[in-house]
Amino acid sequence: MTPARRREQGLVRAYVVTDGRAHPTRNTLDIVTLVNAVTSRPLTGLSPEKRGVMELCRGGALSVAEVAGHLGLPISVVKVLISDLIDSGHIFARAAVPKAQLPDVQLLQEVLDGLRARL
Amino acid sequence: MRASDVITADHRVPAGACAPVCPSTKPVGCSGPIDPPVHKDLMSTHISGTVFWPVAVVAVALLALWIRQAVVSAALRRRLAQAVEDVRAREAELGHLVDVRLPAVEMAGRRPPQGLRDQRLAGSAYADRLDQVVHRFVGASEKARVRADHAAKSTLMAAMKSVQALANEQQLAITEMQNRHHSAHVLQDLMEIDHANSQFARRAQAVAVLCGSWPGRQRAASPLIDVLRGAKSRIRDYQRVEIYPGPEVDVISRAVEPVVLTVAELLDNATRHSQPNTSVEVTIRPAHNGTTIVIDDAGVGMDELEISTAVERLTRGQHLDINALGDPPQFGFAAVGVLAARYGFTVSVDTQSPYGGVRAVIFLPKALLVAAGQGAVPVVARAAAHDRAVAQARQQGGATPMPVRTPGAARPTAAPDPQPAQAAAPAAPAAPAPAATPPAAAPAAGPVPLHAPAPEPAPVPAPLRPLTPVATPATPTAPADADLPAHERDDGYEVPETPITGITAGGLPKRRRREISEEQLAARYASASGPAVGEDTGPVRTAQETASRMGAFARGTRSGRAESADVEGTAQQ
Repeated sequence: MTPARRREQGLVRAYVVTDGRAHPTRNTLDIVTLVNAVTSRPLTGLSPEKRGVMELCRGGALSVAEVAGHLGLPISVVKVLISDLIDSGHIFARAAVPKAQLPDVQLLQEVLDGLRARL
Repeated sequence: MRASDVITADHRVPAGACAPVCPSTKPVGCSGPIDPPVHKDLMSTHISGTVFWPVAVVAVALLALWIRQAVVSAALRRRLAQAVEDVRAREAELGHLVDVRLPAVEMAGRRPPQGLRDQRLAGSAYADRLDQVVHRFVGASEKARVRADHAAKSTLMAAMKSVQALANEQQLAITEMQNRHHSAHVLQDLMEIDHANSQFARRAQAVAVLCGSWPGRQRAASPLIDVLRGAKSRIRDYQRVEIYPGPEVDVISRAVEPVVLTVAELLDNATRHSQPNTSVEVTIRPAHNGTTIVIDDAGVGMDELEISTAVERLTRGQHLDINALGDPPQFGFAAVGVLAARYGFTVSVDTQSPYGGVRAVIFLPKALLVAAGQGAVPVVARAAAHDRAVAQARQQGGATPMPVRTPGAARPTAAPDPQPAQAAAPAAPAAPAPAATPPAAAPAAGPVPLHAPAPEPAPVPAPLRPLTPVATPATPTAPADADLPAHERDDGYEVPETPITGITAGGLPKRRRREISEEQLAARYASASGPAVGEDTGPVRTAQETASRMGAFARGTRSGRAESADVEGTAQQ
């Protein structure tokens, strides 16, 4: 199975991919959560979609949204798959780098006004 | 009776006549006083002699008549009895026909095994007529059955097609919603709707297939495991189905949907007839000449009668009577049989599973399989590859216009099937060659192929028709819409219809090349190359240079053709 191969859409439905589950086992995943594959784990017993996730994540960290895009699956379905893989130890997730705390716009405006008043 | 009366009277008469004779002999030696009686006796003897012979003759005649009469009447009696018997037998036979034979035909729909009731009538014209009646009845009922079957099938098919279309539409909407909403709660609901919709679509699909329709969806070649999971997603108890991975092999595009439907019907059957706490196992096993899919359930199994019914439905294929599917109708095996016959795989359900239920075995021959990863190139990618090939060809041999259809450009049918265009490509250099000679020196009856008469092109399409500006073959507009009729082109100048001057040996119309002046040519060249500046049109040459090159090419082609014994190629000249 080539990793980049895109599967026929609509043939295997989402409920078969997740075995009927819509709720991920953990709610810590976001669409920007970065996931990495644990390369030492064997892939035996994984469904084709989970194998696809592992193939994608082997190369480095990917966000959940990117994994979903590459696999052509809905994000909520990918979240279920990735939670399963985290549970089985195949993948570890890292929360996205939080956005830097920017100073308040109002404060900046006041500083600007002050500088203008002085100059 | 009267004859016998007469005869007895006749007998009496000679007896009475004889009586006077005997006493007359007795008194011969007697004396005189007895004389008068002697005279009397002589008289009576004379009279009796004269009467006796006619009476005897009459008696003999009457006897002969009586005997004849007796013989005739006996014969008549016999014939009468025979005729009565015959009529009775025919009556009985007619009754048998009405009461037994025709009802048997009605019930079974075919000729009953029992023929005549009375074998004495066998071979007679009457029996033949009766047989004709039965034959006619069989024929009429068969015709009526076929008509009813056709009507039922076409009605069902039309109904199911619209249902299928709606189900597909709904599936697309569900997929779109799944992609749009990221909430797990929404996904849960959508999954339920999707599951119901998939089963709904499958039922409609099975009925439509049974009625002679195509399975409906065209899919790219897919891994067998995905095909099995696709089948799994179309049944109610999909969570009980366990698929064990096997050899990685792809099912060819044409067979994906039929195999999905077949496996889905068998899985549905397996899950429906087994306990909810048991699982249905699907294994893929490589075989010498293909791959087998084995479906085992731990259900109730089938008895002899059910197996024979199932086998009959699986093997009868298209000829199955849709009205004979029971109530409620069981479409599953029948649809599987139709698909198996149409696509050339085999399905057997007559073995017992080691778990006690039914083992269904689907054998996919090699013709329906490709190695994993091959042939799975999506349609879009194929079209793109074709585009690249065309561009490359243009760059390398810029002098030959490739008469290809551009996939997806105003011609949706071109995209999924680029093969005809590719097949036409090698023939391309031959056609423009004579046309590329300078217009002034053009042969009188140039081999100009026919126009495409309608927007839908023939399999060997009209792109071979060389446009007039082939002297400037790098024009990008020529290949793009070469197969469009003149009125559909919007490349800035009109191509008027050329008059047909004759018919070639192959039946194609001959057209005369139109005369074009140098100025017209230059104007066209300018206008045609105008909008295509941004594109890669290859090196720009003068018309004369191109013409000389094409002329050389044409001469080479002609000499090559003259040497070969190909009749088709030389037929144009």
